[in-house]
Amino acid sequence: MPTFSGKKQVNLCLLLGLMLWLATARALDITVAAYSNGPAMQAFIDSLTVARPQDRVRFIATHELPSSAQMNHDSRLILIGPQLLDWRQRSVQGPPTIVLQVSRVQARKILDKREPPGIILLWSDPPLARQLNLIREALPHGQRIGVLYGNDSGFLVNELRQAASDHGLQINAQFWPNSNDTRPLHRVLDHSDVLFGLDDAQLYNSSTIKTLLLSSYGRRIPLIGPTAAFIRAGSLASTYSNQEDWLKSINQLLDRDPLSWPASIYPESFQIMRNLQVGRSLGISLGDKHALVNRLQHLEITP
Amino acid sequence: MPNHALRLASLVFGLSASSLAGAYELFLDNPPLPEVLTATRLHQAPAAVPGSISVIDRQLIQASGARELTELLRLVPGMLVIPEGSATNVNYHGGLGAGARRLQVLVDGRSVYRPALAQVDWVDIPVALEDIERIEVFRGPNTVSYGANALLGVINIITQKPSDSQGSRLSYTTGKRGIEDWYARQGFGWENGAMRVSLSGFDHDRFDLDRRGNDFPDSQRLSRFNLRANHELNSQHSFDWQLALKDGINQEPNYELITGDALFKNHATHEDAAIVAAQAPRTEIQARDYAASLRWNLDLSPHHSLSVLGAAQHWERLQEWRACFETGLSAPAYSCGLINKNSRETRYDLEIQDILSLSDNLRIISGAGYRHDAVDSETFFNGSRSKDIVRLFGQFEWYMNRHWLLQGGAMYEDDSMIGDSLSPRLALNYLFYPGHGLRVVYSEAVRSPDMFEEAADWQFYIRDLTPAIMGQTAMYYPARSKVSGGLAQERIISRELGYNGHFSSLGLHLDLRLFNEDITDLITHWPEIGNFSPGNDDRLSFKGWEAEGDWRLGLRDRLRLSYAYIEFEATHHYDSELTPRHSGSLSWLRDWSRGWNSGLTYLGANSLNTLRFERVDLHVAKRLQVGSTQTTLSGTWQQRLDDNHLGGRNTNYRQRHVFWLSAGLEI
Repeated sequence: MPTFSGKKQVNLCLLLGLMLWLATARALDITVAAYSNGPAMQAFIDSLTVARPQDRVRFIATHELPSSAQMNHDSRLILIGPQLLDWRQRSVQGPPTIVLQVSRVQARKILDKREPPGIILLWSDPPLARQLNLIREALPHGQRIGVLYGNDSGFLVNELRQAASDHGLQINAQFWPNSNDTRPLHRVLDHSDVLFGLDDAQLYNSSTIKTLLLSSYGRRIPLIGPTAAFIRAGSLASTYSNQEDWLKSINQLLDRDPLSWPASIYPESFQIMRNLQVGRSLGISLGDKHALVNRLQHLEITP
Repeated sequence: MPNHALRLASLVFGLSASSLAGAYELFLDNPPLPEVLTATRLHQAPAAVPGSISVIDRQLIQASGARELTELLRLVPGMLVIPEGSATNVNYHGGLGAGARRLQVLVDGRSVYRPALAQVDWVDIPVALEDIERIEVFRGPNTVSYGANALLGVINIITQKPSDSQGSRLSYTTGKRGIEDWYARQGFGWENGAMRVSLSGFDHDRFDLDRRGNDFPDSQRLSRFNLRANHELNSQHSFDWQLALKDGINQEPNYELITGDALFKNHATHEDAAIVAAQAPRTEIQARDYAASLRWNLDLSPHHSLSVLGAAQHWERLQEWRACFETGLSAPAYSCGLINKNSRETRYDLEIQDILSLSDNLRIISGAGYRHDAVDSETFFNGSRSKDIVRLFGQFEWYMNRHWLLQGGAMYEDDSMIGDSLSPRLALNYLFYPGHGLRVVYSEAVRSPDMFEEAADWQFYIRDLTPAIMGQTAMYYPARSKVSGGLAQERIISRELGYNGHFSSLGLHLDLRLFNEDITDLITHWPEIGNFSPGNDDRLSFKGWEAEGDWRLGLRDRLRLSYAYIEFEATHHYDSELTPRHSGSLSWLRDWSRGWNSGLTYLGANSLNTLRFERVDLHVAKRLQVGSTQTTLSGTWQQRLDDNHLGGRNTNYRQRHVFWLSAGLEI
């Protein structure tokens, strides 16, 4: 039987627990803003609404957004795309903001090296280390890794070198400023087993992808990345995060005190997308998709 | 229910209720990208190919230091390369060394096999080694894909795409034995296309001595012009067109007319005096090749594509010399005149090919072609001859499941000079582990007799006779070969068991091939004026095995091995000499870092054309990169380990070694 002092302690704990529960369960106003509100956006809003039943989720088109300083600072803002990052970073005042659909290169162009307070970026491009792990697992002999970089993506090469050196991989990087001049592409293919795609729209876009893929495939060199969107075009494989993975990360952030938010994160959960026809043609077996994801997750825990 | 558990459940249910397709659109950031590596563009994986393919890639081409295409082919298992007169002949497995007629050779899909005289003039192919992306050698019959003449195999020379060879490149090579080559290239691109123009020169003295130790005149000097352009009209249509010109002079010792008849035998002073008194000991072949081709690619959908290839080619070989003849008359007893072996051959080729991918597991390739071959040669054909060939082909590739792949097809050809033929092939690949496959292949293939074998009317017409003989300054030399024709096609039945595997963790590619090839109705001959009557009288069969390994050891080393063990049976002794029982090569390529690279290659055959052949090649290169300018300095040393002559009439060197140095600049 508990003593009086014991009862008091229990009550105190219950009270603290209740306060904590109230704090975490407090209803939030969540505003999602994007340039357009198509079916995909609506599906995201619906899923977010279902995932946050205690919160109020609403969509605002960009042209209806008030200035961020005028918005309720206790609310949360979810912005989609680099244009809205640019809009938000112009104001120091504003609600805690989660920015989606912005790549490392896009953010660098807008923010340079700044990390504006109150904004967290959930990178849209796959993490470099994760993509490297994919190469390690799927192409164990792909030790010479070719990388093309442009005016805006040079900073990623240093990070990639750092990540690669931990695994004894060699990075052959070539600056490719002009996509009409394919010499850097061929210099990099000359000395590579695999081409690592950086998500830089100046390099990888609908105009360049044909040359990139036909040239690399002509030499039986697979392209990894830059994102899952390139798999259908002919890239061999890429890691990516789907809506479920993103919602997990968003959910966790919304549950946390915004003051504890880091400046940027990658989603912890991810999937792998593969082009099986390209793999078959190159004689590369990518094995079971789920097993591969598990191995990569294991590598992220114990590299 | 705990709050987080509630949220998780909601999340899962919410997701299941949401449109995944919509979610993908948002979170995959799906820009409108074209599907590039479509089912119609993808090639079979090595383990799934219905045969063996050796690939000589750019790294190997550069590391070998080779200056000639034929030297690269020594790296292919079972490929037998020997010089013969002014030419170099390439045979697969064997046959008559001097008459390599059973391989199809293509440059970007255009056959460079001469239509009338049935040979490939390797040195005269208008392509510079520097323009080549890779060489793919299909070992084994492949008439079903490439038509008659692909009896024993196909050598596919693939040049770099214009978009892959931009900027300027200059190089110069000089070395022993009169080696002096040069190459200049300019490539440029624009939004929807690219173009490459290259000029090159090739010059060497070749062999020093014939097998008797006499001087052997066989130097080769030539220059080439190549242009290749690509235009992407839109996402569906693209054009690729090429122009190639080659002009050069090949020296040749004069073997013609060493025996023969006096011009007026009836008046001969005595029966046996009927010989050519004197002739130029060497002649020069003025060899010009012209080629133009246009390929139109139409991507109807990611699963259906169409291509049309049109090509026109012209081969001109002009060879004229002066000879003096015993007339058999009292006056003049001798007369000298000009004789020639001139020929002009022309080919027009049109092919339409359709690739249809019915599903991820079934692809059908079909098409039709028309070819017109013509020759004009007073000496060999007493005028002009031509023939037309119509062909229809179809193949399927069917992945029955992830382990079993069945491939089959047939080619029907109708040759207006020879008749029609049907060449089928059926192959079953068992892909027992990803990247590893066993195969069983049965194929039949044909070689159509060439126009010279079928319709030769070979006689020399002597012009500019001085002094005139009975008032005539021109007349026929009496010896003549006019064949009766009616030849049938050579036929091969080939059975093959093979294994191809890629050990990805080791970086090792391995291919093994066990073969049994039986050629019937074989036409074996040594063309000689006055004594030339080819027939389908012979038979030749091969059995044995081949291995090819390509092993990348770590970041810097690559080992490449090729080996062939061949047993043969031949009914004609001409076909019995070329084939070595053991032949092969071993190459070690190394990147020493700091721009240093080397290639060390051993080539050996225990009895190539009856004699042992062994050679070691060492190539060392240093690359310097300053900004966007790359300078390459390299040296190549070839050391023969034997002292044997190589060809039937040829040939040897005064020294066992040769070297050359190159300097290149790429901007």
